[in-house]
Amino acid sequence: MVTKVMQIIFSPVLALVVGVFFLGLARKIIARIHWRWGPPLVQPVIDIVRLFYQKSVSHGLVFDLGIILSLAGSIVVVLFLPFGRWCPLDGSGGLLVILYIMLLAPLGMALSGGEGANPNISIGISRKLILSLGYEVPLLLVLLAVMTRYKTISIMEVVNVQQGTSWSIISFPLVLSGVSYFLILPAILGLRPFDVSSAPQEISSGLMAEYGGKYLALATIEHAFVLFISIALFVNMFLGGAANPIIFFVKMLVVFVPGLFIHAVFPRFRVEQAVKYLWKWPTLLAFLGLIMTMVIGG
Amino acid sequence: MDRNQITKWLKAPAKMANKYSLHAIYFCTGCGIIEVPPVITARWDAERFGIIPAATPRQANLFLITGYVSVKTLRAIIRTYEQMPEPKYTVGFGSCPINGGMYWDSYNTIKHLDKYIPIDGWIAGCMPRPEAIFIAVTHLWTLIEKDMANGYIRYKDNYESYRSNQEMALGKLEWPPLYPASDEHRGGE
Amino acid sequence: MTVEILLIVAFGGAVLSYLLGKTSDKGRDCFAVFISLALVAFVACLYGRSVERTFYFGFFGIGLVLRLNMLSWFFAITISSLGALCTIFSLSYMKDRERTDFYYLMMLVVNAAMLGIVLAGDLVSFYVFWEVMSWSAFLLISYNKGPALAAGMKYIVMSVTGSVCFLVGMLSLYVFFDTLNISELAPAISSASGGYILFILTAFGIAFGIKNAVLPFHAWLPDAHSEAPAPFSAVLSGILIKMGTYGFLLLLYVILGLKVFLGLGRGLLSYHSILCFLGAVTIIVPTFIAMLQTDAKRLLAWSTVGQAGYIILGIAFGTNLALAGGIFHFFNHALFKALLFLAVGAVEFRAGTRNLDSLGGLAKKMPVVFIGALVGICALIGVPLTGGFVSKWLIYKTLILEGSGFLAFFALVGTWGTILYSYKLIHNVFLGQLPERHRTVEKAPFSMQLPVVVLSVAILLFGILPGIPLKVINAIGTSFGFEPLNVTLWGIASETGALNTINIFFAVLIVGIVVWLLFCSGAKSVSVRQQDSYAAGAHTPVDKYHYTAEFYNPLYRMIKPFLRDVTDEIYYGIAFFLRSCAGILRRIYTGDVGFYVTYIILFLAFLIFVQLKWKPW
Repeated sequence: MVTKVMQIIFSPVLALVVGVFFLGLARKIIARIHWRWGPPLVQPVIDIVRLFYQKSVSHGLVFDLGIILSLAGSIVVVLFLPFGRWCPLDGSGGLLVILYIMLLAPLGMALSGGEGANPNISIGISRKLILSLGYEVPLLLVLLAVMTRYKTISIMEVVNVQQGTSWSIISFPLVLSGVSYFLILPAILGLRPFDVSSAPQEISSGLMAEYGGKYLALATIEHAFVLFISIALFVNMFLGGAANPIIFFVKMLVVFVPGLFIHAVFPRFRVEQAVKYLWKWPTLLAFLGLIMTMVIGG
Repeated sequence: MDRNQITKWLKAPAKMANKYSLHAIYFCTGCGIIEVPPVITARWDAERFGIIPAATPRQANLFLITGYVSVKTLRAIIRTYEQMPEPKYTVGFGSCPINGGMYWDSYNTIKHLDKYIPIDGWIAGCMPRPEAIFIAVTHLWTLIEKDMANGYIRYKDNYESYRSNQEMALGKLEWPPLYPASDEHRGGE
Repeated sequence: MTVEILLIVAFGGAVLSYLLGKTSDKGRDCFAVFISLALVAFVACLYGRSVERTFYFGFFGIGLVLRLNMLSWFFAITISSLGALCTIFSLSYMKDRERTDFYYLMMLVVNAAMLGIVLAGDLVSFYVFWEVMSWSAFLLISYNKGPALAAGMKYIVMSVTGSVCFLVGMLSLYVFFDTLNISELAPAISSASGGYILFILTAFGIAFGIKNAVLPFHAWLPDAHSEAPAPFSAVLSGILIKMGTYGFLLLLYVILGLKVFLGLGRGLLSYHSILCFLGAVTIIVPTFIAMLQTDAKRLLAWSTVGQAGYIILGIAFGTNLALAGGIFHFFNHALFKALLFLAVGAVEFRAGTRNLDSLGGLAKKMPVVFIGALVGICALIGVPLTGGFVSKWLIYKTLILEGSGFLAFFALVGTWGTILYSYKLIHNVFLGQLPERHRTVEKAPFSMQLPVVVLSVAILLFGILPGIPLKVINAIGTSFGFEPLNVTLWGIASETGALNTINIFFAVLIVGIVVWLLFCSGAKSVSVRQQDSYAAGAHTPVDKYHYTAEFYNPLYRMIKPFLRDVTDEIYYGIAFFLRSCAGILRRIYTGDVGFYVTYIILFLAFLIFVQLKWKPW
């Protein structure tokens, strides 16, 4: 019981540390690719501290509560994800609950942004929701293939089975789903070429146009959590989870860094180009993966 | 840079964070902006100092007023400055904001920007090179360290005189006065 | 003794309220509300009773049976509570309209007829009440003249088609089995041949499918629900469609029985899989069409078609979790769809329009309605802590665990489509900038706020403690012959991953408090007025700074060519074809008496000629 409570308290903290480290690492690696030095690795921490000390503007109660709801949703999702061998809230619904609580994050930000009364925000939300619809189609096919193959909706069981046998990504029908998930991971994380929903030059950073001070700090923390959640889900589903957090972290790094390489050099897709891409090859691969899984008999 | 001194962070985290995370609003006010892309790209990398461009004034705390200020631009500058949250720092960039520079006798430019917007520091030159910009940033850090970069406090305290200067230059302003009374609710309906 | 008193009170109350309305308006209003609330109380008192009473009226020797069991009770309590709330809403909505006596009469008659349907124990009384409900709904849909008349016409034609199919099925059952009593039909029908069962399933399936707006038969729904007056739209979407659901439940589980239904085979072309497939398609296509709508009520109407797909999918799938999910989703859908229609009705009442392109920013002007709409949206999407989450979770879980990956995929994509259009609804109506012309909009009156608040509280209550309705639904499931579910107050416990809403609730609450504390530790924020928004240094232009029209523009361009409403065009095509055939017939039956006299004389001449020539007589 005590270990459970400690896990519940430390999981989000650890996820935050990992997420913020990834943000700093992203800026550093991109800078090095651009042949410059880049900020120190702790720069996101400095930014977040500065944002907490800066005043901000508020457009109403929904503006405040939306961002709080969004961040709360992301933290609750972290509680349901296995990280190494820990999984704080294991037996409460598994993957379906995660899929659902993951909705709270964009919904909260959409509600708070809507109250901001700025068309840039509305366009940003519209693009973000359309992009979400775009990547959800292959993502759902992938997750359904995994759930059908292992006949369970609990992620901890998926991890345990993989630890026992072999990683999903090298087992036959799920390799298609794994490749498909890897192809849509930049869209989920908001990396180029799919960062149209927070395009600073076009729609003045979309959802975050009216976020100052602590709102922007919470939004940055939220971004860190989303990074953690999406990559951790991929590692758990397809790379076998891990026996302890260190190896888990190494696997997450291995997944994140190629995405950064693509982010550093690609331009941005328009929303309909992004959705057309997401509904073409990744969906086809995931669809084939699901059919193969159902035919082979799970 | 004393970015890594833990004791300084523990004693005054707000000051240290404000120094090393200056997000400049990417508003190209005049011709001086031509010197800013080289500053933020690979050759003279400003991100080492923690300076990146911010998309909207709400997310920014540094305002570089680059180049001459025409009367039309002054409206946008005042609006942008007022939309930035506190604490905020302004830097006049180039000779034109200081005393009119090359356009000292033009009917359409503002000669002394300091009458309309509080400025924390000036960078002389036409245009200042990127090295000058970095030296200016280190000077700004010293000012922040010594609590002397308080342009926003001057603005709040002397708002009536700033506003009357603005109205003399621009005529009727469409936005209501920022600081009549309490800090809680800005403007009226 | 009690069941027919319920029906007599319901119908009698309707007629009495009409007569009262001739004398005093306020008296009629109070009486109508009183009758609806009395019906709710009455039905609540009947909980747990199981009654079956036969009346003989000398009608072909058939007894008319009234029956109350757990299934009927669950539907009856939903019908009566929703009817009561919508009647309370109508108090202010219909305040200064004409023919309000007629309106209240029809509202109460629809209510009473639906109660009659769920309490009917034999097919004849079911049919009588079904028809009373259909035509009273038609009269109410065409209440506002204008486009509502065409909408009502579409509705009644399709509904009558369904009723005729029902009649065909009913008569064939009578011919084969000599009885129409539902509890007697059930054991008798298991002896019928497979082909006959398929015929019955098709005939009744068409009838209930038209009412429940399963995909090929949904064409009447968008027009009818958007043109009806708002409280009646709530009743239509919330309950009237679910009479088709009740019919399906009766057909598949009570008349046919579980063994026969499961024994029908599950191959690719069986009734079971066709119905599941139709349910899945009904989830996807209307959800995407709803994203393209610019009329708030039309968006909600298409959303209803989509959610009805979930219910049909749940019911047709055939496991106990799926049935529980389908029936619970019926209950949740009644609550949140009524809430959304009432919220949109309140906005229409105050702002005068329901066009999504011209509303905006009403959250600060009508806060109670905004919060109600927000809770409704969250329930529609299925956010955890609202009831919609539990019912959708049940359906997803059973679809995944039984290996129907594609049905689960359709259901889950439906949820994402739901997020898109529900956000569009709430953004274009309540969030964003307030237009100048709506600056003087006042708050909704109390009698409109009350049903909104009651429904929101109900949604949240049944989301956090889903055990309360799940207990009743479990009883229904066991009465059909399924295995009972292990229902606790907080959710369902089972071996393959439990649903524990209390864990989720406390997790979200505690984490939310922690985040809020973190939020408050930052520097204080300054509250700004709506005009003080980022506009690239300019002052925000009045009335031109709200992004509403074509909210999902990139998606429109991609999916619009695929989303023509083909069934609507087919139906209009059939209608025009029949009209042109009738037009040809018009050449003979010209309506001119001279022609008819000519025909008569010619025919007499022909007869005389035949008589003279060949002398047959």
